[in-house]
Amino acid sequence: MTRRRILFRGIWKENPVFRLVLGMCPTLAVTTSVINGIGMGLATMFVLVCSNGIISLIRGFIPRKARIPAFIVIVASFVTIVDLVMHGFFYSLHQSLGLFIPLIVVNCVILGRAEAFASRNGFADSLVDGIGMGLGFTLGLVAISMVREVIGNGTLLGVSLFGGGFQPVLVMVLPPGAFLALGLLLALMNKVEERRAIRAGEAYEPPREMDCGSCVLCRWEEVE
Amino acid sequence: MVVKEIANISFRLMLICAVSALVLSVVSDWTEAPIAAAARRAEMEAVAAVLPPFDNSPDSCAVSMGEAGEEGRTYYVGTRGGSVTGVAVRSSSKNGYGGVIDLMVGVDGAGTVTGVRVLRHSETPGLGANYTQNDLIQRFYVGRRLMSTDWRVKQDGGDIDAVTGATITGRAVAEALHSALRRYDQEKERLRGGIGKTPLADGEGEGRK
Repeated sequence: MTRRRILFRGIWKENPVFRLVLGMCPTLAVTTSVINGIGMGLATMFVLVCSNGIISLIRGFIPRKARIPAFIVIVASFVTIVDLVMHGFFYSLHQSLGLFIPLIVVNCVILGRAEAFASRNGFADSLVDGIGMGLGFTLGLVAISMVREVIGNGTLLGVSLFGGGFQPVLVMVLPPGAFLALGLLLALMNKVEERRAIRAGEAYEPPREMDCGSCVLCRWEEVE
Repeated sequence: MVVKEIANISFRLMLICAVSALVLSVVSDWTEAPIAAAARRAEMEAVAAVLPPFDNSPDSCAVSMGEAGEEGRTYYVGTRGGSVTGVAVRSSSKNGYGGVIDLMVGVDGAGTVTGVRVLRHSETPGLGANYTQNDLIQRFYVGRRLMSTDWRVKQDGGDIDAVTGATITGRAVAEALHSALRRYDQEKERLRGGIGKTPLADGEGEGRK
């Protein structure tokens, strides 16, 4: 696969938020404002690129049978570095993201890329994969937080959009709003993908896990 | 050999951990000073924002009333032309919607609130967090005094304005301010002794030398 494809795959075709549906904890929790989304996305991208790079460099040294603990130690180290550096040099952003920075450790996107890509590919490819997936993740967070901030607070990047008459839909910045925004954007993304496929004359198959037809719950009786 | 394999795996994991620990200790060492400086800068900015007009450096004119190292018991004193214009002190409440709310409050000699600045909070963005916005909180609290104010939010029958969806935050902020003012009232005399040179004038100009 060419580097270009590795890079762009993370942004659309295998977007971690909308296609792989990984890393949902920060996706749902921090996307109350666009600035939080950007900060979280970039912090995650930094950790992802660093851990991908290191893991691909020492992939021969990491014992196959204990690879997950090794990945976690490496990822956790980078997260701690991000936490400390942010605390010292981006004080106010650190204040608003606070709790969620340490949680990057358990972000499945990072562990997933370590396992699925960095531990099987070369250094440069792994860096590119980290950048692509990181950008995809950041864009996903920005998209969700944009919907939530505009509808739920009437602002974009803290700037008021509609003036005094606008009654913000509060639920969008509350936890349920995260699920609403994510669901709507997932649906939109599938629709766009379906159109593209039909236009290109390809057979369109929706992602299995998001396709209601393949859900076991809906045809429980048949299965039984 | 199983034992040999386990030893091999353990050794490799240990090495990875050791290198990580080494790197982290270096980074921690390097960021320690900037973190302390950033926290201090944020605190001093808050002090400058809440004090009435002053021309000294409140940072170097601080009186600690608590035990050594006790947080939030340091009064930063602002003076102008040699007489005290007011003090700034930290206060906090544990009863915010997202836990602790830390703030800095400025009080003048007469015990009137001259400014409030929230230092740290974990309130819900878009709801409770709205209440911690600067202009809003100034409008709600500046000019209030300990005795002439009913320190409950309006929903509870008091004088403090609240924001829809931020009642709990409002209660917590009011509580933190109320306790700071009460403490200041109790400690006023002792604080005067601490400041030494000038009394915190209740009347006009009596402190001028």
